[in-house]
Amino acid sequence: MAFINYSSREIQLKIVYYGAALCGKTTNLVTLHKQITHAQKGELVSLATDADRTLFFDFLSLNTKTLPGFTTRFQLYTVPGQAIYNTTRQLVLKGVDGIVFVVDSHWDKMADNVESFANLQENLIENHLSLVQIPYVLQYNKRDIPNAAPINYLEYTFNNRANRALAFEAVAATGVGVLETLNAAARLLLAKYSKTPNANVTGMSRPNPTVAVPPQSDSPQVGAGNVAA
Amino acid sequence: MLTAEDQMAIEQRLADFLNKSEAQWSALVDKGGNLFAQSGDTGTLDLSILSALAAGSFAATHELAKRLGESEFSALYHEGHGQHILMSALHHECLLVTIFGEKTNIGLVRFYAQQVTVSLNELLKGASEKEATAEPLQLEGNFLDNQATIT
Ligand SMILES: Nc1nc2c(ncn2[C@@H]2O[C@H](COP(=O)(O)OP(=O)(O)OP(=O)(O)O)[C@@H](O)[C@H]2O)c(=O)[nH]1
Ligand SMILES: [Mg+2]
Repeated sequence: MAFINYSSREIQLKIVYYGAALCGKTTNLVTLHKQITHAQKGELVSLATDADRTLFFDFLSLNTKTLPGFTTRFQLYTVPGQAIYNTTRQLVLKGVDGIVFVVDSHWDKMADNVESFANLQENLIENHLSLVQIPYVLQYNKRDIPNAAPINYLEYTFNNRANRALAFEAVAATGVGVLETLNAAARLLLAKYSKTPNANVTGMSRPNPTVAVPPQSDSPQVGAGNVAA
Repeated sequence: MLTAEDQMAIEQRLADFLNKSEAQWSALVDKGGNLFAQSGDTGTLDLSILSALAAGSFAATHELAKRLGESEFSALYHEGHGQHILMSALHHECLLVTIFGEKTNIGLVRFYAQQVTVSLNELLKGASEKEATAEPLQLEGNFLDNQATIT
């Protein structure tokens, strides 16, 4: 739940990276921690097994100036993707403001991706939330692998709805598309809580043509569906 | 949503609690890991990490207790070498996190924590009643152009 801390003049927003096991959620945070230079960042905390699988969550907090007089603190979390950790995923979703759903582009992972997307929606319901109220963006990760599923297939599978979510191609391991994904989620959130959603947000359906998935011609309002809450 | 006044009132209660218990730092954190209000000193510790981990460990232990058939779960205590942590459940999805050292002891801290828990719950109840009728959170002002970009 978005929270304003008046004494430190800080807005706190929680973004959760969700997705199937090994799709690259932790890698997104590791890359962000390396790439971000201007925003004030905290330590990256990982509650993981010895084999680097997320056990509880990863956590990274970023401070940015977005609104005059206020600092916005984005609290980034990942969930553990492995099926057995469902209770943990529900706990991490508590108080979520925005979601990045990471899709593994590998053909063999399609069933896992679909199951994880369904699981996300079930767990939101457990928390009395839904994707209708919670802004989310999609990230098609691992675009570098040779047997990556084509983008139009992924769009059809995960983004085939009236209000299409913003979607980004990424190679989290090398950093491609990682900041773009986060910035889209961040702006959707700021727009949701702003009295005057600015042009920046509604105009960002193609924030970076080389990375963002181009909108299909029959759906003019890409990403806008989540903006005017 | 807490107003600035709510937050000041809570910080006042926390400061008072620290005075009496001689604990080092105390905070009101929600179960999503947000830091709502705090008092005292933790040196250079990153408070957002502290809050995220406190909320996580409390949630995990609560879940464990629930599976053991314990419906009541009110506090979690970690005893360290020089520093100890007490986490107490509050109403409205919040918890009180207290860190204390050798100046005091768990008995004293727990006693005053129970007292402050009651008054914090009252404040939270008031805040949530106000919230039920309040306008949804809306931020005034324009977002700075392009600075809404994390770099
Ligand atoms: N080729 C390729 N590999 C990637 C990419 N992103 C992540 N990986 C690899 O995928 C594996 C799993 O990445 P993680 O980030 O740990 O996955 P996760 O989603 O956090 O997994 P869980 O914590 O188990 O849910 C690692 O070996 C990464 O190096 C990518 O863009 N391309
Ligand atoms: Mg992980």
